[in-house]
Amino acid sequence: MRENFRLIENRELHETLYHYRVYPGLDLYVLPRQGYQKKYAVFSTCFGSVDNRFRVEPDPEITELPDGVAHFLEHKLFEDERGNVFDRFAALGASPNAFTSFTQTSYLFSCTANFEQNLEHLLNFVQEPYFTEKTVQKEQGIIGQEIKMYEDHPHWRGFFNLLAGLYQEHPVRNDIAGSLESISRITPELLYRCYNTFYHPSNMAVFVVGDLDPEQVGRQVEDNLSGRNYGAMGKIVRVFPDEPDQVKRQKTVQELVVSEPIMFLGFKDNRAADLEKKYLMRRELLMELLLDILFGSSEQLYNDLYRDNLIDENFGSEYTAETNYGYAMIGGETRDPDQLYTRIIDAVEALKKEGITDEQFERHRRKLLGGYIRRFNSLEFIANNYLAYRFRDNEMFDLPSILQDIKKEEAVAVAEENLDLSYHALSLVMPQQEE
Amino acid sequence: MLTNYTEQYLPNGIRLLFMPTDKFKTISMGLFLHQELNPDLAALNALLPAVMEQGSRQYPDKLTLQRKLESLYGADLNADILKSGERHVIAFGCESAHDKFLGENGALLKQGMSVLGSVTGDPLVDNGSFNKDYVNQEKIQLIKDIKAMLNDKATYAYERCIALMCAEEKFGTYKLGTIDDYANIDEEALYHYYKQVFSSNPIDLYVIGDLREQEVLEAAGEAFNFPRNVEQSRLSPTEINRPVQEVRYHEEALPVNQAKLVLGFRTYTAYGDALYCPLLVYSGILGAFPHSKLFMKVREEAGLAYYVHSRLERHKGLMIISAGINYEDYEKALEIIHRQLDDMAAGEISDTELGNTKQGLINRLRSQQDSPIQLISTHLDSSIGGKTYTAEELIAGIEAVGRPEIQAAAERIKLDTVYVLRPREGGSK
Repeated sequence: MRENFRLIENRELHETLYHYRVYPGLDLYVLPRQGYQKKYAVFSTCFGSVDNRFRVEPDPEITELPDGVAHFLEHKLFEDERGNVFDRFAALGASPNAFTSFTQTSYLFSCTANFEQNLEHLLNFVQEPYFTEKTVQKEQGIIGQEIKMYEDHPHWRGFFNLLAGLYQEHPVRNDIAGSLESISRITPELLYRCYNTFYHPSNMAVFVVGDLDPEQVGRQVEDNLSGRNYGAMGKIVRVFPDEPDQVKRQKTVQELVVSEPIMFLGFKDNRAADLEKKYLMRRELLMELLLDILFGSSEQLYNDLYRDNLIDENFGSEYTAETNYGYAMIGGETRDPDQLYTRIIDAVEALKKEGITDEQFERHRRKLLGGYIRRFNSLEFIANNYLAYRFRDNEMFDLPSILQDIKKEEAVAVAEENLDLSYHALSLVMPQQEE
Repeated sequence: MLTNYTEQYLPNGIRLLFMPTDKFKTISMGLFLHQELNPDLAALNALLPAVMEQGSRQYPDKLTLQRKLESLYGADLNADILKSGERHVIAFGCESAHDKFLGENGALLKQGMSVLGSVTGDPLVDNGSFNKDYVNQEKIQLIKDIKAMLNDKATYAYERCIALMCAEEKFGTYKLGTIDDYANIDEEALYHYYKQVFSSNPIDLYVIGDLREQEVLEAAGEAFNFPRNVEQSRLSPTEINRPVQEVRYHEEALPVNQAKLVLGFRTYTAYGDALYCPLLVYSGILGAFPHSKLFMKVREEAGLAYYVHSRLERHKGLMIISAGINYEDYEKALEIIHRQLDDMAAGEISDTELGNTKQGLINRLRSQQDSPIQLISTHLDSSIGGKTYTAEELIAGIEAVGRPEIQAAAERIKLDTVYVLRPREGGSK
């Protein structure tokens, strides 16, 4: 396995990552962390809720999925012919979990004993699907409750209403779990078709972190995969609709049981989809810095808004750039959404006119760097984020050097193109009127 | 194998708990002031850290303070109020990246500590009062936070169950108090209260990082030099013996989609009790894990819930079961839950359930050693519970638990309150 091996060093963080390419195309990353009790492993596929139309070359036929299949599949992999997968992790003292995002599905465990067996178990259950009519039906009940839970969750609703307002066609506008109606159309056959496409090792990656010997982990993963007779896999072509630049609706309002209105303001990034993947991380850092300069607690605007009781400590902003969509989101709970909206828009316009100072740029750059180092305490943070970056061809360990490299002028230019009022939308969750 | 704290006292009586370790990328600090949970003091306790966090004499407003923290590579300063048993703990935390990754050579410990010391020991005061604007502003924010409990329905249902179940006890006090409590607090009264508690209540200071004891002691002594009374106030222990007369049922309706079921039990077994480890195992088998009875029966077999679990309030000796269900399934869910409790009481526990639960609990305890925040909060627990367990002691205690001890813990457990938040006719759509 030597020839398929490389080291990824990060001098700033004193970390060395081991990367193996395991036949037939699985990327394995091992990060040794001495002194940690916990060992953490995550096995991810580049298959999320937005991947709802695809074909596999050379076959021209496109498969279309009802919303929520990636998430449904995640639930169902936890069950096999012998019953519940949780039980076997439990018997080994491990804590398993899984999650589905817009772009990936991840299966994971953490443990402080029996690492090898737990890893074997993780590798096995993810590679051994078992879907029947009966088990699919039962899961519709459980996921139905999950969907209902989120229907009562005002911040979650506000977030998805924003995306549904920003996007006209792109599937990022749909809930990750789908709807009660869409999941009722999921069948075992459909799950198998998705499984056989997206769960091929060449579309997957494993990240392992803890007090471990990389060489030994490498051999174990290689042995596990070598006996499974994987065939060659055609290229997966993900088909996305043409997304117009214009937003779907400028304003979405939903009434729910909340104590105060919740407001999210979003800017659609129409450029992210055209960028080469390697620039996405740079763009994210520029935007993160910019949003922090605009809305962070060390700046005048935040302090004015707080003093005027228009925001609370949870007010915040974030930016996401993926290979075919991107958006910035700002907001929180507020007594007066109209006024908060105006103040935010004014600040964005003022920044574009007046620019930012060198001092601001350096101060916030410093803050981002420190924050990044702090997050490296968490094994979960490292593993989960490393793979999310990896699936869009970004190297997470490059972050400190990119951060050192970005220029103030770039940030201003990104603001100009990315915080464009022609492409913004508003989502409000308002307190339900008592009848 | 596991690192423990060294314990010392600063000249003014603050207890310093320091853990040297090079595992982490950070320097983590926490300062905790212990006070009794009491309906008359709750709002004062909640308001105090909120106001102090706005600014100190040296950094008189949030903007100045945040810029100082930014210069420390985005050190994070936070202030909060914690409720644990019948203790109310005023909490401050400060975490920064460690110097060694930034070539800063020791500055981050000293300056981080100095900011924390400034905010806690040298607040912004004019004329024997806190800043009036800050006090008014934070009153508004906290009243808003009290109302915002409604926004997360699971938390709301949990808090409602506790409030109803413990209405006659200190523990029934919400950690932010009530909206009415804030009407009578002004900047002068709050400052007076600050002077009182910061000089006479027990304070613990935690520091974790790749640091030398001497430099920590020096930096702490310099940063926390405000005068304190030699005589410290004694806090009364949490009352855990309230008898259950009969099970009380409460139902509330809101325009929501999902019903939330919450069952409150009294275990009569608190943190320092000999049956504490058996109780951990009991609740673990019943509902703390995905392999537990509740998850397997209510979710995996019957498909009635997405979440269903049991949790312990370890200092008050309560056990709370929570589930999100369809309201039509209420009777069915309740029946399945009761059957699991009956099985537990009858000792119907398989070797697998027992073994898996012990391993799961031990895994959690060991994992806590990898997070500075959890290292601090588990030790804080022992201070509150009046008994210090090391992780190794708890692990040994869990390993030693057998069926007879679980049975003994089970026999004490009594259902007190059943609360359900149900959808109002028509739901939210």
